[in-house]
Amino acid sequence: MQPITLALAKGRPAKSTIALLEKTDVQFNDFHEDSRKLVFYNSDRSIKLLFVKAIDVPTYVEKGAADIGIVGKDNILESKADVYELLDLKIGKCKFAVAGKKNYTPEKGQLLTIATKYPAIAQKHFDKKGEAIEIVKLNGSVELAPLIGLADLIVDIVETGNTLKENGLTVLENIEPISTRLIVNKASFATKSTEVQQFISQLKSALEG
Amino acid sequence: MQRYTLNGRNKHVEDFQVRDNLIATLKNRFTTYGYKQVRTKAFENYEMYSNITGTVKKDDMIKVIDTTGKILVLRPDVTIPITRMMAAVNQANNTFWQRLFYVMDVFRQSQEMPNQKESTQAGVEFFGENTPEEDAEIIMLAIHTLKDLGFKNFKIEIGHAGFFKELIQQAELSEQDLGQLQALIQSKNIADMELFLEGMAIEEELKKAIQSIPLLYGDPLQVIQQAEKIIRSAHMQHVLQNLIDVFALIKDYGVEDYVAINLGLINNMNYYTGIIFQGFVDRIGQPVLMGGRYDHLGKQLDSVMPAIGFAFEVDLLIQAILEQRLAKAPKALVDTVIYYTKEKQREALTAAFELRNKGYQVLSFRNDPSNRNPISSNSIIRFEKEQNLFSNEQIKQTFSKADELVTLLQAHKEGF
Repeated sequence: MQPITLALAKGRPAKSTIALLEKTDVQFNDFHEDSRKLVFYNSDRSIKLLFVKAIDVPTYVEKGAADIGIVGKDNILESKADVYELLDLKIGKCKFAVAGKKNYTPEKGQLLTIATKYPAIAQKHFDKKGEAIEIVKLNGSVELAPLIGLADLIVDIVETGNTLKENGLTVLENIEPISTRLIVNKASFATKSTEVQQFISQLKSALEG
Repeated sequence: MQRYTLNGRNKHVEDFQVRDNLIATLKNRFTTYGYKQVRTKAFENYEMYSNITGTVKKDDMIKVIDTTGKILVLRPDVTIPITRMMAAVNQANNTFWQRLFYVMDVFRQSQEMPNQKESTQAGVEFFGENTPEEDAEIIMLAIHTLKDLGFKNFKIEIGHAGFFKELIQQAELSEQDLGQLQALIQSKNIADMELFLEGMAIEEELKKAIQSIPLLYGDPLQVIQQAEKIIRSAHMQHVLQNLIDVFALIKDYGVEDYVAINLGLINNMNYYTGIIFQGFVDRIGQPVLMGGRYDHLGKQLDSVMPAIGFAFEVDLLIQAILEQRLAKAPKALVDTVIYYTKEKQREALTAAFELRNKGYQVLSFRNDPSNRNPISSNSIIRFEKEQNLFSNEQIKQTFSKADELVTLLQAHKEGF
């Protein structure tokens, strides 16, 4: 058996994924949340675990630096990585949505300005609707943009909607549901077929069990 | 250190040697299957590429305008110009049969990789008949070449353009939906595919068939068995039979362990007409080779020419070879270095000429340049006032005449 490399997004999904893996008897003994280590091995060293920033997970997998990645759908969509997306882990559920001030109605023929951390997803959504938009790429506190007139609307991840509510915004349109996904490098799927498939089926049965 | 630039990156002279050796290996293997090398122009007619269904997007081509205002493109692909070349030959000659190979740079631009505009492709094109024997032989050639390069763990995925195309025709999807479905299949995204198909007005059995396409992957015999369950037309049966025949031949070549079937392999569906395949090696995320049967391309050029071909991405192969450390340790800079004193100049230069004439790599210097960086060589020859000395790692020996040198060099060439 060849060892496989697994890239895991830091943050909330990491914790639930590790718990899920433990159900499949994959133990990362020296792993704990506050650790600053970025590389871990399981007990029989058949799996090497890399902790990377969520948005980088698809890149690690696409380039083959990791065979398998576990990361939110939002990051997969935004990175446009050419990978296999084999499993929905059904954790970290939320959605992409268009939000704005309550009762917001655009003027006819107005060019909408959209503030977002996810320009590719915003562009794709409005392209599909055939609406021309201008994008303002922000890196955080996107909710602020409509309040101070930087943008008409925002495209962002919405989980509970509380942040929106507190800032006087509301969901105007749902774009796409999001959850944590398992992605696989296309070459690894071909050259390490047995190992990869075994890992996936273990995870699958843990999900169902 | 000496450096040169390759594809915008700095690489060492030794890396060029790796590249050169690799290309020599490819060319040698292509030749043993009866392929002859050709080249095409770097500047091609833009219309030729824009009018023909190929594998290059219009936006990806690098366009140039000449002094007459004509638009040219830097060769974005080699198959189309070669096919056009052969179509011109074929008009005079009906029975057509030709095996060609090339090693050429292709030029493309993309937003994702703005710094990578050129890459080297080494490929083969086989103009002949559409038979399983031809399909299997060319897949065998790909496997044989990857073995030559020293790869231990690699896979050729084989798919077929016709299988999925037939299912799709029955589903009658809009162009936009088809694009979305293709993307889902190519990423084997079964979870989202279910959601996508849910809302479609497609009969249940067909939905199930489409959904199973991404899963039709792996051991050829098993996959073929599973695929039989979703056959919905005589044409699909025919396609599957084609795959069965090709696989039987691959087995007889004794290389079945290197292939997997992937019926979700559906890239460039409008271009390929039969078998499609791609090859993967360890640690490289993208396919190092891609190819397939493209019988319609000749028709677009008014010539009936069944053809199959594939191309290696040479830069990816080099990356793989370097990462997997398959390249031989770099040899010494030269075979031998001659140092001589003023009074032995004529003798030394004559010896240098003789040795170079025999094919040895020789550097010669007057006096021992002890202040210079040492030159790596397999042996050192000194023409000194009192004696002539030959030395290498194993021996140190005097000699009187230059012709003795050839014997000395030959005797101790082994092991380096």
